[in-house]
Amino acid sequence: MNFKHKYVFLLPGLIVLIGILIFPIIFTVRLSLSGWNSFNPGLDFIGLKNYIRLFTDDPRFWQSFFRLSFLAITTVFLQYIIGFALAHMVWKDIKFKRFFRVLFLIPMMTTPVIMTVIWRTFFHESLGPLNDFLSIFGVQPPWLSSPGLAKVSIIVVEVWQWTSFMFLLMLAGLLSLPKEPFLAAAVDGASPFKKFIYVTFPLMAPISIGAIIIRLIEASKIMDTVFVLTSGGPGTSTETSSFFIFIKGLREFQMGYAATASFTYLIIMIISLTIIVKVLTKVLMRE
Amino acid sequence: MSLMLNHISFKPTEEYHLNDISLRFDSGKMYTILGRTLSGKTTLLKTIAGLQTPDSGSINFEDTDFLSIPVWKRNVAMVYQQFINYPHLNVRDNVAFPLKQRKMDENLIEKEVQEAMEKVGLIGFESRKIQELSGGQQQRVALARSLAKKAKILLLDEPLVNLDYKLREGLREEFKKLFNVSDESNSILIYASTDPLEAMQLNGDIIVIDEGKILQTGTAKDVFENPATAKVAEITNDPAMNINKCLIQDNSLIMNDSVQIQIPDELKSVPNGKYLVGIRATDIYLDDQGFAFDVEISEISGSETFLHLRNNNLKCVATIEEVKTYNTNEVVKINFDKSKIYLFEESGDLRHSPYQQ
Repeated sequence: MNFKHKYVFLLPGLIVLIGILIFPIIFTVRLSLSGWNSFNPGLDFIGLKNYIRLFTDDPRFWQSFFRLSFLAITTVFLQYIIGFALAHMVWKDIKFKRFFRVLFLIPMMTTPVIMTVIWRTFFHESLGPLNDFLSIFGVQPPWLSSPGLAKVSIIVVEVWQWTSFMFLLMLAGLLSLPKEPFLAAAVDGASPFKKFIYVTFPLMAPISIGAIIIRLIEASKIMDTVFVLTSGGPGTSTETSSFFIFIKGLREFQMGYAATASFTYLIIMIISLTIIVKVLTKVLMRE
Repeated sequence: MSLMLNHISFKPTEEYHLNDISLRFDSGKMYTILGRTLSGKTTLLKTIAGLQTPDSGSINFEDTDFLSIPVWKRNVAMVYQQFINYPHLNVRDNVAFPLKQRKMDENLIEKEVQEAMEKVGLIGFESRKIQELSGGQQQRVALARSLAKKAKILLLDEPLVNLDYKLREGLREEFKKLFNVSDESNSILIYASTDPLEAMQLNGDIIVIDEGKILQTGTAKDVFENPATAKVAEITNDPAMNINKCLIQDNSLIMNDSVQIQIPDELKSVPNGKYLVGIRATDIYLDDQGFAFDVEISEISGSETFLHLRNNNLKCVATIEEVKTYNTNEVVKINFDKSKIYLFEESGDLRHSPYQQ
């Protein structure tokens, strides 16, 4: 079709794309080169000063980043294991199959922030039901105020909230698998356990990689759980990158510096996720 | 060594899939299960393999109760109608899969795999992916896998049915050779097929099955010459034997009032009455002095022409040994080879076969 104004029809999409994606990124880059804070609002130009500060003089950012990596990898790993196990359980014909399938999906249907508030109450040191129960055994662990246990609490909440999603993806994957290789494997002498190792797992590799990556990206944005559950505390022991950026930008109003941290974070995430995909493909698909 | 099936029945719904099947398979022999689609062939093979548990009956192999052994310990190999392989593995690993399950020595696996691949002609394809192979090659992989396993029982469930004509012919020839070789290994070979020609060519013992019931067992020659019932005669011939109601009266055989043939001498002892008459399509020939029939459908198959004919309510199929086109409703004159007439009782049991002494 040779139509003079055909590009006009691309405009709405292009405008939306520029408005919500390209402009913010470019603006963030420009912002990261400015010293915008509550005393000097505005886009001045201070060169790479923010970047130099971030890379040489801010261990807190890097600590929060490694903490985030730890939390993301741990939670996604646990979600994968549990999600796959649950999906495998309701994949075969078992009693109340439909009931379980729906049951395992319930956490995903709840609102994360509200559920986290409930979890905070649940974990409350003196008023929470968990410690009330544990006091029978004479222990009352400080779930939210010890640096170590606070991380455990976050992991528990994250795993609880998002295993459903992993379960859903893995179940969809299992249901899409061809039935024939399983027939062949049984006759070829594979016990149920070996069948899983040599047939189910390799066949699920592409789906596993997709599911893990989706969850890793999501998990890297852990924010609401931390915000509601511990507010990054005690101290900065549960502070993650996004929470750090939130504090710098919207609490301390160091807009320029927060933009620097955001942009650096974005670059690191793109590079590390690319590497993770490559590694996972190599390990899981033996290619 | 033999595999014994005793009164195996399987009835998952209202209908029997297997109805009181008792069979004995001896090692070093080949058996062909011949039956139409849905006759229970696959169910029978699956039951032997252990993929399905029968409702009643028992299976014994080498004096052990086979039903108490789970599938993966039975040492049975199976090739399916669909080309079933492991899509995530390459050809070599596919063939090696059952051996790896047994934790065999790597060198030994390599040797067995090479041997099996050589037998089916897959040398050079070792590192190919399954998806990169043609249907025939995929089925060869499945076959190589079952051969490499050196199982005591080899089950082949219509392995050639999904292949094109040329490949089918080629592989069938190879099958015969392969099976002769595996005779030495003393395994039991069970081949399921819908194609009577294939069953005759493979020349093993034939088990005719229909609606989950065994109708006849015997050698290919035996089943061909003396089908136990009219049903067997239909199943074991392609095109199916023409079975029609007839009346025998005063030395003549009357079909549908309009066709009347003088019966041959050997049939003269048959008392008057109602019977079923069976005539193979190949025993009907064109004859200007014969009976007039209308052509319903004419199909050319290779160097032959199948004519579906009709004379009022009387229908039959004739094989003409030449390629010729006929128009629908064209009138042809045919006759029946009287020396090849089969006679069945109204209940279906064989009364007379031209091969009977």
